[in-house]
Amino acid sequence: MPIEQEKDDVMAHYLGSELSSVNSQLPKKRKTLSQLLHEEHPRVCCLDGSEHFFRIDELRYLASILDDHEREELLLPMIIEVHSGMSEMLVRSTRGGDEGAVEAKVFANVLGMPASVEKTGVRIYRSQLGAMRRTLKTTTQYVFTL
Amino acid sequence: MAAKIRIARPTKIELARLKRRLRLATRIQKIIKDRLSILVMEFLQTVRESAEVKERLQKEYEDAYKALSLSLGYHGYAPVEQTLMISEMPFSLHAATRNVAGVRLPVFQMEENREAPQAVLPAGNSSLLEYTSDMVRKCLSATVELAELQSALELLGDEINKVKRINNALEYVVIPGLDITIKYLSMKFEERDREEVARLKYVKLLIEKREAYAY
Repeated sequence: MPIEQEKDDVMAHYLGSELSSVNSQLPKKRKTLSQLLHEEHPRVCCLDGSEHFFRIDELRYLASILDDHEREELLLPMIIEVHSGMSEMLVRSTRGGDEGAVEAKVFANVLGMPASVEKTGVRIYRSQLGAMRRTLKTTTQYVFTL
Repeated sequence: MAAKIRIARPTKIELARLKRRLRLATRIQKIIKDRLSILVMEFLQTVRESAEVKERLQKEYEDAYKALSLSLGYHGYAPVEQTLMISEMPFSLHAATRNVAGVRLPVFQMEENREAPQAVLPAGNSSLLEYTSDMVRKCLSATVELAELQSALELLGDEINKVKRINNALEYVVIPGLDITIKYLSMKFEERDREEVARLKYVKLLIEKREAYAY
């Protein structure tokens, strides 16, 4: 019977670090749309030390569909939670009282249909993801959960 | 490929450790599969966008060359070349990165530079040259866009290969290996238990026999 303890330890270490590295692209702190609109090069710092840049065109598009109050509420990048084995995704949202109302408005505009708002956030489906990511490339980000 | 049994000591602690590791590996595999599907979706979307931009770029280059040949025909080669040599396009290119499911992709943003002086055309206020200049600017913008998409494609492709390898390693090597080791240990412990029961029965029988002889 072959004994490969060293290889096994490497694998155990790898498995542990893989889980933490999958979501290392998340921003350390999100910024509001109005904050980003005032920056010359809008960006946020990620957990792995890299920078995530926002396209100015996208920010302007978002600003055009939201009013002043909503611009203060919308935190960017919007985080899309991908749950394993589920066909739908959740977009957790703002700090305001109306959980997900601003995001729902954005998605409704992008998708051309009303988005389903729940207590935890806005629910979107895999089939809608392509259309959404095509328009909001830099203002959305993925997070993988179980 | 047949999975290997990997074990240092056949103990119950080892079995618990292996079970914990199997749970972790299964969880990670689920996440990796999700990541793979997202990366493939992004890759396909980038391919589609890239094809659209390529088509647009080709058309814009055609228009730009037509405009340039018209300008050359109207003004002559020397004045147009002189104009091209001294003119400056008032824009700058800002390069940064965006993150897609853990892959850093480049973002190029063309910015109008308001402080830079507008191009002076020695050939006079020629609408043909201005039109050519506009067309070239459009071409440049599309070229930058295409460069961004092409490098994104390469990076996404590399990452998909990497994630696929990890997924395959987990699916065909690590998880079956852990499964078979856990099964082997469980069988070993069951066998040990059965031996223990048989031994106890034998000892009980011996004691009973001894007691029977004593009477």
